[in-house]
Amino acid sequence: MATAVHLDGITKRFPGVVANDDVDLEVERGTVHALLGENGAGKTTLMNVLYGLYEPTSGEVRLDGEPREFGSPRDAIDAGIGMIHQHFMLVDPMTVTENITLGNEPRKWGGLAVDRAGSREAVVDLADRYGFDIDPDARIEDVSVGEQQRVEILKALYRGADTLILDEPTAVLTPQEVDELFDVLTELTSQGKTIIFITHKLGEAMRAADEISVLRDGRKVGTVDADATSQEELAELMVGREVLLDVDHGTAETGEVVASASDVVVEDERGVRAVDGVSFEVRAGEVFGIAGVDGNGQSELVESVTGLRTPDAGEIRFRGEDVTTASRRQRIEAGMAYIPEDRQDRGLVMEFDLVENGLLGSQHGRELASNGRIDWPKTRGHAEAIIDEYDVRPPDADAEAESLSGGNQQKFIVGREFERDPELVVASHPTRGVDVGSIEFIHERLLELRRQGVAILLVSSKLEEVQGLSDRLAVAYEGEFVDVVDPDETTEEELGLLMAGERPGDDGGGGGGPAASEGGDAGETESDAPTELTDAADGERA
Amino acid sequence: MSAADRARDALSRLVDASATERILISTAALVLSVLIGAVLVLVAGRMTTCTAGEAVYYFGTGFCYDPVVVFDRLFLGALGDPFSGSWSPNGQFAVTLRESTLLLFTGLSVALAFRAGIFNIGTQGQMVVGALATALGVLWASSLVSGTLGTVVLIPFGLLVGAVFGGLYGAVPGLLKAYADANEVITTIMLNFIATGVALYLVSGIFKDPNSAANQTVPLPEFAQFPALLFGGRQDFSIVALLFGLLAVGALYYVLEHTAFGYDVRTSGVQPEAAEYGGVDAKRTVVASLTLSGALGGIAGAMYVMMVLGTFQTGIPAYGFDGITVSILAGNNPLGVGIAALLFGVLKSGTTVVQFATDVPPQLVGVLRGLIILFVAMPEFFRLLARGLPGAGSKPKAVATDGGTDGDRGGEADE
Repeated sequence: MATAVHLDGITKRFPGVVANDDVDLEVERGTVHALLGENGAGKTTLMNVLYGLYEPTSGEVRLDGEPREFGSPRDAIDAGIGMIHQHFMLVDPMTVTENITLGNEPRKWGGLAVDRAGSREAVVDLADRYGFDIDPDARIEDVSVGEQQRVEILKALYRGADTLILDEPTAVLTPQEVDELFDVLTELTSQGKTIIFITHKLGEAMRAADEISVLRDGRKVGTVDADATSQEELAELMVGREVLLDVDHGTAETGEVVASASDVVVEDERGVRAVDGVSFEVRAGEVFGIAGVDGNGQSELVESVTGLRTPDAGEIRFRGEDVTTASRRQRIEAGMAYIPEDRQDRGLVMEFDLVENGLLGSQHGRELASNGRIDWPKTRGHAEAIIDEYDVRPPDADAEAESLSGGNQQKFIVGREFERDPELVVASHPTRGVDVGSIEFIHERLLELRRQGVAILLVSSKLEEVQGLSDRLAVAYEGEFVDVVDPDETTEEELGLLMAGERPGDDGGGGGGPAASEGGDAGETESDAPTELTDAADGERA
Repeated sequence: MSAADRARDALSRLVDASATERILISTAALVLSVLIGAVLVLVAGRMTTCTAGEAVYYFGTGFCYDPVVVFDRLFLGALGDPFSGSWSPNGQFAVTLRESTLLLFTGLSVALAFRAGIFNIGTQGQMVVGALATALGVLWASSLVSGTLGTVVLIPFGLLVGAVFGGLYGAVPGLLKAYADANEVITTIMLNFIATGVALYLVSGIFKDPNSAANQTVPLPEFAQFPALLFGGRQDFSIVALLFGLLAVGALYYVLEHTAFGYDVRTSGVQPEAAEYGGVDAKRTVVASLTLSGALGGIAGAMYVMMVLGTFQTGIPAYGFDGITVSILAGNNPLGVGIAALLFGVLKSGTTVVQFATDVPPQLVGVLRGLIILFVAMPEFFRLLARGLPGAGSKPKAVATDGGTDGDRGGEADE
């Protein structure tokens, strides 16, 4: 086999940071190569170097043995490199065909007009060649996320890509769509394409890749054969210490109802019902989980509960009182903690340092302020306590929030919210974009609060997370709860079908049949399952 | 790409600059603007004609204008020539301080709103309203008290009236923004015209001084004006007003940095979504900060009436608009406003000195002033710009891989 991509001693420095430190990477033609690492390990930077977005400080990019220098993504595309970003770059009101050919349309009339028939034909040919199932005339806004991703891949192929870089491609997909994506990757490699696949999920790397390179702190710590490794070995390479991939969930001793929603309706900006008559209750000492693909009303529901949004109908109760129209401040003061889904927009003020961020939500409280005057020394102590207890790195209260990696930002938010001594914790995607080491830590803390009798409302699109932590699990689809199930009695395939909107009893025999193609081992499809720390969380850092 | 990379690096360094570095950068910018201004003066001096006796000679060539004299007048002249031995507290220095004091208040007014994320262009209108209200209020109250007691009572009273009416006038765009979603830039600009128009109507009609040809109110009695302590009265400057100004700088700094309200304001200013999440009442914060901003503008108006004019007259100079420049120059920091207002005051008062002392046309002096402000403000301006830019600054987005929501927006923006 020939080496398609060879990164030789790539170092990329930013002011004050070494994002990549002498990284060597060789990718064989016709294989899937996973680039695995925690947040901030330097995966995306390395791929941005390959894609021409960054010029390396030192080192060399070689394609098929030829040294290349890319001044811009345009050069990289011309050299046969395609990148599929995590956030798709598609024009929603345009058709699949138009999106794929955009900027490189076949022309007619001497280049004056777009050859629509020719475009469509080219797209159909391309899709047939790689066995893609797409409708060339559908509008992007009407097709599923999985299909949008296939359009992105076709777009890269249309531009002549031989090497495809996929950045966290599974983050937005249902389990079924992940299976389909992996089938597509297999088909592509069988036709000689090379795939580099950025992920921080161990299970996916093992399933989809032929070889796995692990990055840690900007350095490559090893390349392993996917068939000859284990999740434990990968986790240890990634984190730099041993990680136990197991969770002791225990049974819940539930108390009284802390929070409830009844017949909540939320309309979005266009008047569409994002939440359509949802009711539930969360009891003290239980984790009530809401599973579902993003965008099925979970955000709107959570915002109604936490006070960022007023529902159009229905009632929210908290600690026995109707809080449907109560302000955020009133709810915070009544004991509601909230880990928001978007930590960089909501959860932290990025320009503020951690001392100031530790105050967010408490500035009108009595703990850290009195008579409208902020007690800064006390506030600093509070932030330092969070940093210490929740292992936020670097342990510097004067660091600006934006200088922290995603996982550490999240740990700080989790710490701040848990330290409110809450009655209810609303945790919205608490581990999104967070690495293995931090995930296990956040999960452990959540379960500890549950043991102390705190009610927890958990929303996540990660199936293994909601399944592993919840005592009761609702599945959201198009603004409704399709079903509320006991997560221990339900398989991942069943949940996947519920997430796709198949109501229980819709098809009698299909329950786990066609979807259960993956050996049926529910716990293994993804790695960042709830885990437990073995030793104290003081993993060494280079 | 490497040029773009370098530009990005430069922006990052600018965003990460420490306070000392920022002061050094500003000083360097000031020196650079003077050097470039000097070249302009020389070039302009080559393009006019003058007698050989009037010309100065550099590098063996004659020039009609001497940049050394121009900048000497612009800066040292504005300070009242502190090194010449003829310095007098009643001289040009007092003019500089008078201008600085007024700019201090309008600068603080704009800065406070800026910190809350609101672009208050209405400081001028709030100043006009405050000035008129102060003049009328103090005129009315001066019939009740007089003498030293009158000064002690009427000055705080006049400032209060100015603050209240300026504040109310600031609350209008605040309410419109909070409850009717009306853009404050538009409403404050329009309210400026309304303030000027209504003031003109009132002082050319019912409140007009019958003994004056100008559109002005009856002059305030002497005891209702700021006392001319230390600096004499000739330049309409009072050290008391400046002390009030410094007090306001300190107070605003304290409010922003040490109170829950200030925290709400700053959070709303940099990240409104996070403020909402943190329990900040966005509507109330908008109204409160514009009210307070208007009050500071109103105080500027009160000072203008009670210290400078001694009456209300239409055609109040554009201190409110200059306040925008002062605030940007200061990076919207109250302490910085103190320094920026002084610099601006020097430039304003120095301009007249240059015009007296040299033949340099006023337009050219205006260009020099503009250059200095542009150069000193640019680093701050780029800092503000770069903070909003993906990939610049110390944001991990540019350097870290990220799952979840972080993505690599920096990369996407480049395409």
